[in-house]
Amino acid sequence: MPYFRITLLRSSIGLPRKTTATLHALGLRKRMATKYLPITPSIAGQIMRIKELVDVKEVDEAMTKQQIRDARRPDPGFYVEKRATTGMMV
Amino acid sequence: MFGPFRLTTPLSGGLLWKIPWRLSRHQKYRHRERLRRIDLVISTLDTALARQGQTMKKVERWKADMPTEQEMLPKDKYTVFDRKIKTYRKGIHKVPKWTRVSQRLNPPGF
Repeated sequence: MPYFRITLLRSSIGLPRKTTATLHALGLRKRMATKYLPITPSIAGQIMRIKELVDVKEVDEAMTKQQIRDARRPDPGFYVEKRATTGMMV
Repeated sequence: MFGPFRLTTPLSGGLLWKIPWRLSRHQKYRHRERLRRIDLVISTLDTALARQGQTMKKVERWKADMPTEQEMLPKDKYTVFDRKIKTYRKGIHKVPKWTRVSQRLNPPGF
């Protein structure tokens, strides 16, 4: 199922209350917040109202919060070849 | 000497907060980028809805009425109509919140 991936790039400070309310309704609370919402005319209409503030992409799958966090995590720079055996300590 | 509370003429001397009468070329560049970003959002909405077999009046109206960044004249991109000014035009950077509002059309003939 395709989704809109909406990222809030610009804040709504000082803009009309309807703009802020739309962001609130979409669940975009702070800048760089990302939401995956289904592609419906109602969501599209809300995006139209805040089009100057957001980045919108059409994606096939929605990412969960954990997946977004994992995607942002930088490469640790090492990998574990072998764990020390716990049997040694007994 | 430095920092947000430094003593400069605009800060210490009352009403001296001037906006230059024209945009710098870097402001113009960023403004064009913003316009293009909005065009991109509109086209994304349009294609996504079309793929679902749906259309929306708001998007259709925007596409019919509003010129895209490429179609806009430089005059309309960087200036807006203002009846109080002798040439009936002022720089778009004088519009409040100009980086976050869409202002593309002007009265015909001006």
